[in-house]
Amino acid sequence: MDVKIPNEVMEVIGKRGIKEADVKDVVMTAESAKKKLKSNGRNLAKKKIGDVTVYVDYELEKGILKEHANVKSAYSHRMSLGDIVNATDKTNWICVHCGEPAMAGHVAMTYMQVTRNGPAVVCQKCKDSWVEEYLATKTLAAAEGLFEKKRA
Amino acid sequence: MSEIIGKTESLCPECLKTIPAEKIAEDDEIYLVKTCPDHGSFKSLIWRGVADYKDLERYACVHSKAPRIAVKESGTCPEVCGLCPDHQQHTCLVVLEITNSCNLKCPICFASANERYRFHPSMDEIRGMFQTIVDYVQHPIAVQISGGEPTIRDDLPDVVRMGKSMGVDYIEVNTNAVRLAEDIEYLKKIKEAGVDSLYFSFDGVTGDVFMKTCGRDLFAIKVKALENCASVGMGVTLVTVVSPGINLHQVGDVINFAKKWIPTVKGIHFQPLSYFGRYPIVPKDEDRVVLPDLLKEIEKQTNGELRADNFIPTSCANVHCDAKSMSILMEDGSLFPLTQRALGPPRETKDVASKTRKEICDLWRYIEESIGTAGQDDLDGTWLGFIERAKSRYLTVSSMPFQDVWNVETERLRNCCIHTVTPDGRLIPFCLFNINSLNGGTLYRHEIFSKFKKG
Repeated sequence: MDVKIPNEVMEVIGKRGIKEADVKDVVMTAESAKKKLKSNGRNLAKKKIGDVTVYVDYELEKGILKEHANVKSAYSHRMSLGDIVNATDKTNWICVHCGEPAMAGHVAMTYMQVTRNGPAVVCQKCKDSWVEEYLATKTLAAAEGLFEKKRA
Repeated sequence: MSEIIGKTESLCPECLKTIPAEKIAEDDEIYLVKTCPDHGSFKSLIWRGVADYKDLERYACVHSKAPRIAVKESGTCPEVCGLCPDHQQHTCLVVLEITNSCNLKCPICFASANERYRFHPSMDEIRGMFQTIVDYVQHPIAVQISGGEPTIRDDLPDVVRMGKSMGVDYIEVNTNAVRLAEDIEYLKKIKEAGVDSLYFSFDGVTGDVFMKTCGRDLFAIKVKALENCASVGMGVTLVTVVSPGINLHQVGDVINFAKKWIPTVKGIHFQPLSYFGRYPIVPKDEDRVVLPDLLKEIEKQTNGELRADNFIPTSCANVHCDAKSMSILMEDGSLFPLTQRALGPPRETKDVASKTRKEICDLWRYIEESIGTAGQDDLDGTWLGFIERAKSRYLTVSSMPFQDVWNVETERLRNCCIHTVTPDGRLIPFCLFNINSLNGGTLYRHEIFSKFKKG
């Protein structure tokens, strides 16, 4: 499968310190394992690479011979995700692995030995969870930055 | 077993001449040993823990020299200071003394306030010192107005307005807070004039400590002043002079006291007693609180809530000059330290001074800019709540023991980033400015200020 990353997306992931090779790795791994979220043609996949969890938001497009993945965005966080705390609201996401609808809820997130809760999309059946872009790039980035900044 | 681990220069405690010195490791302690050809040998404790002393070297930053300096010739450090071409680090914080008069007469005073002559510069002389600052220091410019006691001057609001109008970005006032307890209108005036925070002397939580450091029980007055600061929204750093015979046993109590006053209290600065100014003894090693001693006591007295490992050098001055921790006050009232030696030194060690200046001026703006304000009702236990707390419910605990004539190292003077501005147009490292000999002679303080005396 070809993974296409438009220039404007390349710029964003560069700023976020994410490697092109890792984006492709996330998509390929998700597609071969059939582990991702799906909603109206959108796909959200994640993979832990080293200490960082990388997420890719992409669409699949049928080509003449094979499918292409068009990457819409990618982001990451360094917190590790723990147990699902609750699942409260319905979402449009489907967990492809089990075929059940995924819910909006909260998950324990740990960074530098601190565990606090944060909102996430959760699949209770697979006990899996996904952080959405707004949270990873704002709240979690700020919290991670707080620790990083305090090295100096 | 003793080993020479470094060579430097120091000063003779009798004649203040620059003399060679060696750092000697002995039984896991480090001493500065020096010999004056005229006045003999001197040996002072400078550190406990040889491995720790050496480990701190990895925090050393790439120094950046001041863009403009007042002294052209080199090779004369520390006799001709102002700064000179040999000085390694530019200015983070300028100390500007606007009087040597004080409304107290404490037994301990680095500035020897109310002694010898009256230094009380005119507004024109103060303008001249602000001009020296804006001529030599890069933005953001942080100034501490000090003394003596600055709040004895009714024209302090005018001084502050003048500094701000000339381009100073941040002004803190070093104060005993006595007037601020009695006169909330004056406190409001200095805040309106542009004072950003107070450097508020606070030596302990019981009257007997103040009896020893200040000659009278000031505890209730300090609390009243803090209440006034809370009501007008003035931020405070508590400054605690630490001495083994007086209040070393209260450092944990001071931290607990400060926690109750967050967010009015933003930080505590522990100032191990230096033997200069008004403290007329020849210090023995047991009179010294070196940085590792202080950190051990903090760990012990807070039951590990703040550990020695949570204190790191700011990497701005010399790595053996200071240590700082930063913590968030959690929902359960405990401190959560963000700083840890285990995280390692900063990745970016270039131009730390400009970062320090920015941090002094503008703690936490980074976080405030990076996310919007939370609109949720229940933030307890969430990461968003953690960040919200980090914005206002934090406490820095720091320490920077000043060098005195016994333990001074010229290399550390050249790394210094805290400078006193003088009315003759110079910036001089704070410790060097204040160091005095056994008979009370100084290289700079009295020599310069007495020329500008007002009676």
